[in-house]
Amino acid sequence: MIGPDVSNLAVILITSGAILLVAYLTAISAKDVIRLLISLELMFAAVFLAIIPLFSINPPMAYAVAIVTAFTSSTELLVLVTAIILLDRRKRGIGVDKVAVGGDSL
Amino acid sequence: MNIDTLIIAVAGLFAVTSSVGVLLTKDNFYAALYMSVTMLFVAAIYAVFNIQPVVVIIALIFVGAVGIVTVAIAATYRAGISRKVSIFWVVPVIVVFAILALAYTNLAVESIEIANPEVFSAVATDYFFVIAFLFALVVLMMLSAIKLARRVDL
Repeated sequence: MIGPDVSNLAVILITSGAILLVAYLTAISAKDVIRLLISLELMFAAVFLAIIPLFSINPPMAYAVAIVTAFTSSTELLVLVTAIILLDRRKRGIGVDKVAVGGDSL
Repeated sequence: MNIDTLIIAVAGLFAVTSSVGVLLTKDNFYAALYMSVTMLFVAAIYAVFNIQPVVVIIALIFVGAVGIVTVAIAATYRAGISRKVSIFWVVPVIVVFAILALAYTNLAVESIEIANPEVFSAVATDYFFVIAFLFALVVLMMLSAIKLARRVDL
């Protein structure tokens, strides 16, 4: 036994939660859409970690969820790359302040 | 904490550290590189559990395709400071993480035992329609994206 008595399930869930929170913080502090894209990919990394416990309950479903996550991530990248290109063409920039519609203010 | 849990904890610590690097760096290019490193450490955690198909999925699709495209785009648009962290958001994030860590440490006490890692070959037959519909979704999204991109004049 080494160190404190913590299960590997707790370690994985804490790591996943930490990466997810850092990704949220990155998303709300982003000033351009590239950083938003990167923060979304970090969120998918956290999701991949959170799937691991499912492999001990139902491995085929866990593999299916992992494949769905990979496909969703690829599709999200495709959409965001298109959005970046369109934003750059129309607004001559990729800053989030170029988008005047939507959002919230504190 | 046994040796496997210790290896997972070290890989997780490196993953969180590199994700904090995404948050702190001012350059999009380095942020994309840190993101790829985070994904590699996530793949390392899967490797500890001997779930090799997902390691390959993460390494090939997440790091090899998605990560490289993101790095290329970030390298293209790397001028200027691209983030501004607000201290008003850091404090609630730390509080939420502390609550999560306390809850997981006290409640998630059972260890994960991977039941049967050789069932990956059954996924293609059990979830055939899911995979087929996903392929159709990606193709549809790609065609829609191309149509949208061509509609906007230069």
